[in-house]
Amino acid sequence: MLRVLLAKDLRRAWRNPLPWLIFLAIPLVIVALIGSAFGSRATGDSGLGRIRFAVVDEDDSPLTGLLRGAASQAQAGKYLEPVFLERAVAERQVQDNQLSALLVIPRGFTRDYLTGNHPVKLELVKNPAQSLHPAVLEELLAVVVTGLDVLKRHLGPELAAWQAVFEGQGDYRRVAELIVRAGDQWTAAQSHLDPLRVTYAKEPREPATEETAPLPTASTGPPPFNLFGFLLPGLAAMFLLFLGNNAVSDLKREFQQGTLARTRTVRQRLFPFVAAKLVFSVVMLLICAGILLGGGGLLFGVAWRDPGAVAALSASYCVFAAGFMCFLGALVAGEERADAFANVIAMAVGLAGGGAFPAQQLPGFLRDYVTPWLPNHWFTKSLHDLLFSPAPVAWGGVAVGMLVLGAGLAGLAAWRLQRRLEKGQGA
Amino acid sequence: MDLSGAGRALRCAAVSLLDVQRLCRAFGPLRAVEDVSFTVRPGEIYGLLGPNGAGKTTTLSMICGLLRPDAGEVRVDGHAFSSDPQRAKSVMGVVPQEIALYEELSGRENLEFWGRLAGLHRAEAGRRAAELLEALALTDRARDRLKTYSGGMKRRVNLGCALLHRPKLILLDEPTVGIDPQARANILEFVRGLTAAGSAVLYTTHYLEEAESLCHRIGIIDHGRLLAEGTLAELRERLGGDRVFVLEGDLRQADPPGWPGFRDRFRVIQRSDSQLVVAAVGSRDPGVCLQELLALPVKVENVTLKRPTLNDVFLQLTGRDLRE
Repeated sequence: MLRVLLAKDLRRAWRNPLPWLIFLAIPLVIVALIGSAFGSRATGDSGLGRIRFAVVDEDDSPLTGLLRGAASQAQAGKYLEPVFLERAVAERQVQDNQLSALLVIPRGFTRDYLTGNHPVKLELVKNPAQSLHPAVLEELLAVVVTGLDVLKRHLGPELAAWQAVFEGQGDYRRVAELIVRAGDQWTAAQSHLDPLRVTYAKEPREPATEETAPLPTASTGPPPFNLFGFLLPGLAAMFLLFLGNNAVSDLKREFQQGTLARTRTVRQRLFPFVAAKLVFSVVMLLICAGILLGGGGLLFGVAWRDPGAVAALSASYCVFAAGFMCFLGALVAGEERADAFANVIAMAVGLAGGGAFPAQQLPGFLRDYVTPWLPNHWFTKSLHDLLFSPAPVAWGGVAVGMLVLGAGLAGLAAWRLQRRLEKGQGA
Repeated sequence: MDLSGAGRALRCAAVSLLDVQRLCRAFGPLRAVEDVSFTVRPGEIYGLLGPNGAGKTTTLSMICGLLRPDAGEVRVDGHAFSSDPQRAKSVMGVVPQEIALYEELSGRENLEFWGRLAGLHRAEAGRRAAELLEALALTDRARDRLKTYSGGMKRRVNLGCALLHRPKLILLDEPTVGIDPQARANILEFVRGLTAAGSAVLYTTHYLEEAESLCHRIGIIDHGRLLAEGTLAELRERLGGDRVFVLEGDLRQADPPGWPGFRDRFRVIQRSDSQLVVAAVGSRDPGVCLQELLALPVKVENVTLKRPTLNDVFLQLTGRDLRE
């Protein structure tokens, strides 16, 4: 009987796939939009794309010349795209959203910095129309300023002497002494700086031989970050709840169109009918989870490192989502009322579980007291860990927890629905 | 006609496929069905005739187990429904008033599904579906999805889905609502054929013509009460014969009970300001009756003699026109 009912429902879903496709498309579109908003290289190393900004060098000294050159070369050039402009032109381009920010090196910056006569300031004008790139530049500039400050504190007297050199006032002998002294200081500092005692690697390295083994590092290095991969699990968890509601609503549709009543004229026991709807919900959610996580993963280049674990977690989560939405559907009679109620709860649970925003960014109360109890958060976090954490992920407990919870809720829902239908109260 | 006598119930139970005794059901203060009793025998089409809201669907819902009666008993094929509901359900086929089918599935798939649900094996359900599609003249559209069918075709599939398991008792709840006369005629012809194999049919309708032309016996129900039942001839007999007289004219001041000798010779079936419908008491010659009516102390513009219809019976029982 279960097979007959399930085959009928699957055939109907296949013949009328639009409601399913809508809920499948929305999370994929959101992932694509958000991922694209952060640049087409979101799957690359930086996840940000190159940051284009202007440098207005009003000082135009040999030192600022060195800084300009450094910003556009080698490693920095991979992430940064500085353009050197007049202030007016740069401001116009910021307003036109062509630049993320403009950095002004004020006149007299080199002299004041080297001599220490006056405190020096670098000016950063951020593009208010952008959020992430200006923020990154601000952080980078803070690092540069801290570095310059450290240099000034440790090499204060020496730097004053270099000012004379930059102004062409020192004789060659004096310049040679300064270069030799700077070389000595660099050599002395090198033993402290190289190799770094704490570092990280973006790619797992080949096992080192004993002769070439480096000093111990803080970790073996996390897998590369993938913004699409970060977004996909949370959104999939949230929209699987909506899809679960769509499956459960079919029971209410059958009540509205009279097929449930007709079933009751043929079969006395309603349990097979309710159970078949639950199984149908789980089967549909499994198919949808496969499309969302498997298809979405292929689409966005998400490399699931442990497909078996992802599949097991997804299957357990599908059981939970079906049971949870069935339970919500059983609480409220009437298709429209139940639909609205269940969708609001699904959205609230989805958001509180980190479906749309990272859980760390949620308000304190939610983050500390609600989110940790939500199975969609367990699911999302486990997939994130499987994707990005180099450490082994204990996903078995999470899978069993979701499975047990889902089965329990499904049992409660079946009991309540059957009671309501037998009393003629409607689905 | 004794509608609730225990003696008659015992007599009928032995031969009837459906025996309904003193069925009652209330929805809050509304008494939807009150003390309804009737039987349906093998090979018989029993019509439950009444206007919308009369209690026909509520009665049928209690018979097929969709609603629990507040009081009364339903016996199907000699067994109390409540003692073994699944057995009773396996004996009956129910055609609901609404088209309770899956629009995404084809006609054949719908038939096969309801056959499987009724307990048929896959092959048997397929065979029966093919037979019914042929009988309902739907073979050429069997593979099309139901949403592409006309209203009449959907009604035919709706009917067929209750017949897959060859039920002995068929309950039809207004199966011809909302379809054109041709489609209705096809369905009525099909229903007539169902009794040939000995099936009993309970047919609810508010169409007088259907009840008159289709049903062997008719129960007239209104406001939840079964007012009368019997064959068409028996019901007509309630009016005093096979003819009624319709008097037309200005009858605003008329006082039929006060006319000398009127109450002994005629029975008023319906009266309005411009029309008076009466039946003759006893089997008197129509010509004599006509002369007596023309001699009444009222100015009559026209007198018509006609065969009484079920509507006249309904009028006499309720004071209302069934078509209102």
